Amino acid sequence: MASLTLDNVTKSYGRTRALSDVSLAVDDGEFFVILGPSGAGKTTTLKSVAGLEPIDAGTVHIGGTDMAGVEPYRRNVAMAFESYALYPQRTVYDNLASPLRSGRTGTYSKAQQDRRITEVTDTLGIGHLLQRFPRELSNGQRQRVALGRVLVRPAGAYLLDEPLSHLDAKLRAAMRAELKQLGAMSSTTTLYVTHDYQEALALGDRIAVLRAGRVVQVGTPERIWARPVDTFVARVLGQPEMLLLPATVDSGRIRTADGAFDAAAPDGLDRGDVVLGIRPRALTLGERETAVTVRGTVRLAERLGRVIELTVHSGDTDLVAVVASADAPAEGSDVTLSVRPDEVHVFVDDLRWGSVAGKEDRDA
Amino acid sequence: MARRVLKPGQKRVSAGGVAADTVTVLWFVFALFPIVWMFLLSLKNDAQQTSTYFGFTPTWTNYLTVLGTKGEQLTSVDFKSAVLTSVLACAGATAVSLVVGIPAAYAAGRWKFRGSESLMFNMLSFRFAPELMVIVPLFVIYHYLHLFDTSVGLIRVLQLVTMPLVVWILRSYFQDLSPELEQAALLDGYTRVRAFFTVALPLVRPGIAAAALLAFIFAWNNYIFPLILTDSNATTVTVAVTKFLGGGGQAYYNLTAAAALLGVLPPLVLALCIQRYLVRGLSFGAVKS
Repeated sequence: MASLTLDNVTKSYGRTRALSDVSLAVDDGEFFVILGPSGAGKTTTLKSVAGLEPIDAGTVHIGGTDMAGVEPYRRNVAMAFESYALYPQRTVYDNLASPLRSGRTGTYSKAQQDRRITEVTDTLGIGHLLQRFPRELSNGQRQRVALGRVLVRPAGAYLLDEPLSHLDAKLRAAMRAELKQLGAMSSTTTLYVTHDYQEALALGDRIAVLRAGRVVQVGTPERIWARPVDTFVARVLGQPEMLLLPATVDSGRIRTADGAFDAAAPDGLDRGDVVLGIRPRALTLGERETAVTVRGTVRLAERLGRVIELTVHSGDTDLVAVVASADAPAEGSDVTLSVRPDEVHVFVDDLRWGSVAGKEDRDA
Repeated sequence: MARRVLKPGQKRVSAGGVAADTVTVLWFVFALFPIVWMFLLSLKNDAQQTSTYFGFTPTWTNYLTVLGTKGEQLTSVDFKSAVLTSVLACAGATAVSLVVGIPAAYAAGRWKFRGSESLMFNMLSFRFAPELMVIVPLFVIYHYLHLFDTSVGLIRVLQLVTMPLVVWILRSYFQDLSPELEQAALLDGYTRVRAFFTVALPLVRPGIAAAALLAFIFAWNNYIFPLILTDSNATTVTVAVTKFLGGGGQAYYNLTAAAALLGVLPPLVLALCIQRYLVRGLSFGAVKS
C-alpha cells in the first residue's frame, strides 16, 4: 500500500502532447478514478506511474519515493491492461500464477499460490476456466482474468485500465458493485481509468477529469457532479448530456435569444454572454413556486422503463427532460417545465460562475 | 432450376471446378517437368546422356559414381565431403545468425531510435547488392586472415546471406507481438531479460522455424562465395555439382543431374521435418486474433 503523487508530468509522442503538467495526489488506500474521453491521456498516465512509458518532465512518487529511473519490476505496482495482455501460450491458471512466481511480490508455496488463485477466481466467477487458454475465452472472461492477475498479488498500487469495458451491460453493473467490496481492492491504493461516468461516480473516492492531456477537475463524485468546473466536465458526466443554452444578461434579466428561458439574473452577474447548463433530470413537469419555468411543446416522448425522455421544443431550441413515466404527457401537448434556480448552472467564458441562484465560491 | 440431389460423398461437378483442376494439373506438369527431366538424365549412361530423351537403359551407376563408391573415379570431386561441408557450414551459419539475429531482431522491432530504419535497410541491402561487388576484397581479406578454404570462413561469409534474412523475418514477428505482453511481465516482477525469454521468445517460435529454414536453404543454395573463397578442403555441394560438368574435358551431364538431385535432399528433408511449424510460421500474423 502506498500513496501516489504525480507532479507536472509531461509526455509527448513525437509532436503529439499526450500529457501536459499532470499533477495528481492519490492517498494511501484511496480509490481514485481518472475519467476522460478516448485520447485524453488516461492510459499514458497509468503507464507513467508503472514506469512503462518514460516521461519527458515531472516526477512520479510511489509511497513517497521518487520513481525516476526505477524499473517497472521494482515499483511494486500491478496493472490490468485494456488489451488484457494475457500470455497466450499459458493457461488461465499459469497467467494468474505469473506474478506469484516472479519472486518480487513475495514468496509463495504451491499451496499458497493455489489458495490465492482460488480466492480471486471465485470472486470473479472464472474458477471453471483455470485450465483454458486465453484464446478459448470470451472477451469478458479475458478481462476478468486480466483483473484477476492484478488482484491475486499484493501491491503498492493497482492500476486498472478500463477493466470493465468489455463486459456486457448486466455483468458490468454487477462487477461494478462487487469491485469496491473486494478485500484487496478496498485496502490497496487504486488508480482506475474509465470513460464511463457512471463507473467513475459509483466507484471513485475521488475523480480526476482529464481532457487532451490536462487535468480539468479533481474532486469527490458529488462535487464533480454538482459543480462541474467547466462545460466540458458538465458534458462528460450525465446521459443524456447537460443541456447548454447560450444566453445574455441584460438589465437584471438572464434570457436566451429566442426568449424561451427568461429569469432574474443573480447578483453580481452583469456581464454580457453566458452559457446556461441544465441537467435533463433536473427538469420537472408543471409549474412550481420559486422555480424557473420554460414552456414548450412535446415533440418526442421516449419511454425508458421507469422514466420517460421528453424532447420539448421551446422557442428555437429542443430541451431534453427526463421525468417519471407516470405523469408523462402525450406527444404534441403543451407543457411547462420547471427547474430549481440552483440547478441552472451558469458558465462565463466556459468556466463555472455559479448558478442562477447566485455566485459560488470556487473552493466552498 | 431443380438441383440434382447428391448421394453422401458425392461431389457436385461444375465447369469452373473442372477448369481450375485442369489448370492446376497443367501447372504441376510445367513446374515438375525439369525435375522429372533431370531424374531421367541421372539414370542414363555416358553414351546415351546426350543422344536420347526417353528411350534408354536406366542405371543407378551415376549415383554410385557421385557418391564415390564405385572403383572408377571419373573426376577428382569428393562429393560426400562436400555434402558434409555444406551441412556443417549451413547449419553453423544458421545457428550463428539465430544467436546474434534474434536479439537484434527483438531490439529492432521494439526500439525506434534515430536512424533505426536506415540501419535495417542497410542490412537488407547486403541481400540485394550483387555478391560479385564484395567478392574480390573478400578474397584478399580471406587470404590475409587465413580464412580461405575453411569452414569457419564459410560460416562467416554466409552471414551476409543468412543474417539479414533472420533479422528481417523475426523483426516483423516481434512487431506483431503486443509490447503490452512484456509490459505485463515486467509488472508481474520479471526483469526485461526474463520477460524476453519467458514471454516474447516462445511466441515467435514459428517465426524462428521459418527463418531458420529459409536461412539454411539460402545458405545451401549460395554458389559464388564457396566458389571463390574455398578450394578442395571446404568446397560445398553447389560448387561440387558443377565440377561434374568437367572443366574442359568431358561434361558428365548424367553425373551432374544425379549430384544435383542428391544435393537437394538435405534441405528438403529439413523442410519436411519442421513443416508443422513452418505452415503456422509463414501464415503467422495474417489473421488478427
